[in-house]
Amino acid sequence: MLSYVIFSATTAGIYGLLALSLNLIWGGAGMVNLGLAGFFAVGAYASAILSLAGVPVPIAILAACAMGAAAGIGATWATVRLRGDYHAIVTLGFAEVVRLVAMNERWLTNGTDGLPGIPAPLKSVLGPQGFAVFYLCLVLTILVAVFLALRRLDRAPFGRVLKAIREDQDLAGFAGKNAMRVKLIAFAVSAGIAGLAGALYAHYQSYISPDHFQPLLTIYIFLAVTSGGVGRPAGAFLGAFLVILFLEGTRFLGHLLPGLSSGQVAASREILVGLAFLLVLHLRPQGVLPERIRPAPAQ
Amino acid sequence: MTNSTTRRRFLASSAILAGSLALPIRAMAQDGPIKLGTLTPLTGAGGPYGPVMADTVKAVVDGVNAAGGVLGRQIEVVSEDDQTNPEAGVRAARKLIDVDGVSAIMGTWASSVTTAVAPLCWESGTMLTTVSGADSITLLPHEGYIVRTQPNTILQGQKFGEFTVELGAGKVFFMSPQTPFADSQFSEITKVVEAAGGSTEKLIYDDKKPSYRSEVDEMMAFGPDVVVLGGYMPDTTVLLKDIYRAGYEGKMLAFAYSVNQKLVDALPAEVVEGIYTIAPSPAEGSAAYKALTELTGIASPDPYTTQIFDQVNMVILAIAAAGDASGTAIRDAFRTVSQGDGKPVHTALEGLEALAAGEAVNYDGASGPCDFTAEGDILDCQFRYEQVKDGAFTLLKIA
Repeated sequence: MLSYVIFSATTAGIYGLLALSLNLIWGGAGMVNLGLAGFFAVGAYASAILSLAGVPVPIAILAACAMGAAAGIGATWATVRLRGDYHAIVTLGFAEVVRLVAMNERWLTNGTDGLPGIPAPLKSVLGPQGFAVFYLCLVLTILVAVFLALRRLDRAPFGRVLKAIREDQDLAGFAGKNAMRVKLIAFAVSAGIAGLAGALYAHYQSYISPDHFQPLLTIYIFLAVTSGGVGRPAGAFLGAFLVILFLEGTRFLGHLLPGLSSGQVAASREILVGLAFLLVLHLRPQGVLPERIRPAPAQ
Repeated sequence: MTNSTTRRRFLASSAILAGSLALPIRAMAQDGPIKLGTLTPLTGAGGPYGPVMADTVKAVVDGVNAAGGVLGRQIEVVSEDDQTNPEAGVRAARKLIDVDGVSAIMGTWASSVTTAVAPLCWESGTMLTTVSGADSITLLPHEGYIVRTQPNTILQGQKFGEFTVELGAGKVFFMSPQTPFADSQFSEITKVVEAAGGSTEKLIYDDKKPSYRSEVDEMMAFGPDVVVLGGYMPDTTVLLKDIYRAGYEGKMLAFAYSVNQKLVDALPAEVVEGIYTIAPSPAEGSAAYKALTELTGIASPDPYTTQIFDQVNMVILAIAAAGDASGTAIRDAFRTVSQGDGKPVHTALEGLEALAAGEAVNYDGASGPCDFTAEGDILDCQFRYEQVKDGAFTLLKIA
């Protein structure tokens, strides 16, 4: 039981990083990134391929972060001028491109077979149990560090510029802010965090394949950010744990529905997850931890 | 929104979080029921197959429990949904292993899910029986914890190759979307065809395109005698129309799961006329197959259902033979009940009786003889060859 809780918490931590990444770009700059799973995949594959080629894991993870950010810049460079829905569609396309490349470029990604045997740091020293605890601590430490950094960013002038752009890009421009540049930086940081989450996931699971990066994951993260509270890092943090709690918690409700076949239980579980989030959105659309707009500090 | 409300909200959510962790704590006593898990796709792409598979396992176990269980203990089946997604599959498998403490996980379907779940199983000493076909699965360092009842793609590729030669093909063109088995299937076909003096060519296409004209042009330029279709039903439907439009008059060979009755009904008769299909053949007419149809009430169960039926029977027999219900005991005893010179048995009940009488058993299943190599692949499997004639499938041979 304990190892299951440790596993779920680690997964939630990785979801948390993704939620923080999405919150920065969606809650901050108001850009919808439907391609989150794609940046997650870029990071996972980058770190997996590098470490399988013999690069030490910490360096591979850092490289994955950089690859994620680079992919973020690449994906937004041409499209950052697009607004709202158009940008969202391009990011959705990006995620599909990543998945198709991963499926078809066998020389690099081993195709649909995926990459097994990705090195797990210190696993041979610590054993499976020790590794699980160590990795939970590692993920949570990184999550808290990223959270604190993003909260700092959120409260800094940069965060205020982002929100100004979100509310009215033209107005921010009139105020002398270079909206394009700020959006590009925000997107790169966001994609870098998603890449970091991907790398952590790959080394934890030791196996990745194109099937891992289906759009469903992006939806889960959107649910996490929405239920936690868009625009506030603490909300994204909490939302990710709520989502895992829901996804895992509903497993144990099947026994309460006697007379249903296993297929029906699985279906009702999906209904339940959807229903819970509908309720959150209906009763508390601003999320559990709503955004707080702080006054700018006096000069 | 004031600060204090937020904090209260936060505390409330934290309390829910903490409380829920305490929810699923259950005793894992040694004397309680023996727990077996199914991890089949109940939703997602595998959704049409998984629920029947899970129900079949339940039905077999109910029968064994009614007859007194195994080792004097009842068996409890825990069914989880892998959502045809390795990420979700791993979460479900962790729950089965860590919370329920199952000694075997049965029925993983998608190759990516099986590969993702496999390390959890061999690390925790849990038996994993699967219906996935990707060759790479049994090559994992699984220490014997993986057994699969699905013929691997090398075996399937050989059968395709041999049959194209039988059809008199000199030039074979292979068309398939990117699947875990496309490459190995093509290389096996090529080996057989080239040994017979022919030549092959392949084309990997995107399985979500609305039209395959350029792909078909490429195929026509090669001038094949036989086209081998490696896709799934939706893309094969589109592809067949374009092949017909292009005026191709050679032979075509496909998996029976893609060119099936549904596809034949959906397309004009002249488009599908004469297509050959190959499928791993369940052991129709065997005693186990008959037992399965009686148990589930399904007249012609799909291959996955016949396979998981065999898996659960063998797992139960392995527990009985080992006198121990742990995953490691199942692994060690598996081949003593699946093969060898023992008395041929076809259901767990029959086998349990024989074991109780001190006899050795050899399980012969609904999917085939169920004999395994040291790596966990099946040794032998029959294949079913059919041809579409006037909108219906005509059996050519089972071999």
